[in-house]
Amino acid sequence: MADLEVLIAAIQDGDRATATRVTAEAIRDEMDPQSILDAMTAAMAEVGRRFQCNEVYVPEMLISARAMKEATALLEPVLIKADIRPEWTAVIGTINGDLHDIGKNLVAMMWRGANIKVVDLGTNVPAERFVEAARDHQASLIGISALLTTTMTGMRDAVAAIRAADLPGMRIMVGGAPVTPEFAAEIGADAYAPDAASAVDVAKGAVAAG
Amino acid sequence: MMTSRQCLQATLEHRQPDRVCVDLGATFISGAHASTVSKLRQALVDDPAYRVRIIHPLQLNGEIDEILLRELPTDVIGVFPSMTAFGFRNEDWRPWQLFDGTDVEVPGGFRPTADGNGDLLLHPGGDPSALPSARMPRGGHYFDPIVRQEPIDEEHLDPADNTEEYGPLGDADLADFARRARLAATETEYGVFGTIPGVWGYGDAMVVPAVGLRRPKGIRDPEEWYMSLVARKDYVHAVFRHQTELAIENIGRLAAALGHSVQAVRICGADFGGQHGPLISRRTYVELFSPYYRAINAAIHASTGWKTFKHCDGSIYELIPEFIADGFDILNPVQTSAAHMDARTLKQEFGKDLVFWGGGVETQSTLPFGTPDEVYREVRERIDIFNDGGGFVFAAIHNIQPNTPVPNLLAMIRALRDSRRTSEPDR
Repeated sequence: MADLEVLIAAIQDGDRATATRVTAEAIRDEMDPQSILDAMTAAMAEVGRRFQCNEVYVPEMLISARAMKEATALLEPVLIKADIRPEWTAVIGTINGDLHDIGKNLVAMMWRGANIKVVDLGTNVPAERFVEAARDHQASLIGISALLTTTMTGMRDAVAAIRAADLPGMRIMVGGAPVTPEFAAEIGADAYAPDAASAVDVAKGAVAAG
Repeated sequence: MMTSRQCLQATLEHRQPDRVCVDLGATFISGAHASTVSKLRQALVDDPAYRVRIIHPLQLNGEIDEILLRELPTDVIGVFPSMTAFGFRNEDWRPWQLFDGTDVEVPGGFRPTADGNGDLLLHPGGDPSALPSARMPRGGHYFDPIVRQEPIDEEHLDPADNTEEYGPLGDADLADFARRARLAATETEYGVFGTIPGVWGYGDAMVVPAVGLRRPKGIRDPEEWYMSLVARKDYVHAVFRHQTELAIENIGRLAAALGHSVQAVRICGADFGGQHGPLISRRTYVELFSPYYRAINAAIHASTGWKTFKHCDGSIYELIPEFIADGFDILNPVQTSAAHMDARTLKQEFGKDLVFWGGGVETQSTLPFGTPDEVYREVRERIDIFNDGGGFVFAAIHNIQPNTPVPNLLAMIRALRDSRRTSEPDR
């Protein structure tokens, strides 16, 4: 029988070979897919905790997320067959005019690691594409990132455009180097996260509050 | 009264200069976007038709020309390589216009093409027929490298692929750079900073994608590069080792050619800090970066009087002792807006060992979004903190952004003038 503790350790260590091997074994052994998924999300939650405590840093987080992604790819068909789906969907992207995406990508990875379905629109995303994707994917939350002070100000227009669209209950979360909680509140966003690890709890809290 | 060159030298030697030493554009990371330089120039110089030159094709830094320089309270001028990262030279200037309508001049090799969305694309070698290597979104202010990562075959990764763009400095490039450095040192009384060619950033996210190569091989995606710092350490060591060997050879020739004409030189612009903490661990830094930084700094200190300049954004408090141990003399941009980067604490703890070249005013908040009075107060306060006992070159925290109001720029300049205890030296 596959050992899910080994899977957890492999994801935490970014050991993708072991993570995919144990996942394949667990599927072969017909283990409960929910328990396999829970092991993966627990592993990424621990990675997030360690990141927040400065026990691990961006490279370690990236290799953990990569191990998680490759293991999840094996598990996904099994989850679909068992009708196990993410609880809700988030749309994410970097604001119009901004091509920087490492921070945004880290948030998307951590959200996926927490079993949130993520629709990643990439960089340089205009407000109407956020609205369109949120509608098409019946998203509960839109995440907007900016690295530059010159593009950060565009978040105000994006939030206004999303509010003006017919998306009842949509939660909006913002982040990125120059963004502050005060700015987030000022432009009418529902939530702000300072880093990718805290973005999981902040997003869950925002959606729960919505 | 000290000349500007003496003012910089005193500052670099941690002696109290007779006024705060100021840099407004002597490096690629202490200047301003061309749009901002143009607005500032129009406010200070009666020459509305003048087109500011773009001297950095990614960041679009504006040149501080001789006439503007005379209007600014500044002590340092920069000598830059004529070759850009794209493989075209800063020459054959021609008119161009930024998205915000600013009329500028660009090098002849700066020939962007437009894609279907109106984004602009730059190409290796300035050759529009080559696949693009950088993009500026429509309405944007900067070009950023396009990630061109070929599929990675772990078994056959060759570190030589990641050093393809490095090599011995050409005789003509060396002679040209040395000539301009000597001119700066002998024909002016300014302090001189050298962005020396032939010494390359270590894993810098702007350098890794290799915008000058038509078909970059190896690890070229910055995210893959970050992962390589823990997953492919031998590969990273091999890249850095070879890069260092080439750089040290180049440093030997630069030392002979430049002599004392430059006083400080840029070594590396790799960023290790985010807004809230370091991006990499101290252990990773010490294991992967320190050996090579030590070698470069030692080579320079053994053969020149130059001070070495490390640029590193973000929250890096815990890495600063390592920078000092590795032999760096100067830290830039001193991002006091990041976590654990309080100006007084940095000065108190590291001010005897490091020159702070930056930290003068916040470019994420006060300068673009504050009032002129807030800018003035912050500049004066930072000078009071950092310039006590020398060891401070005033510069904004990284380049001044294109959305910065002119009244705020003028407030910064007024604060600088007011704080300088003596009048400007004659030049």
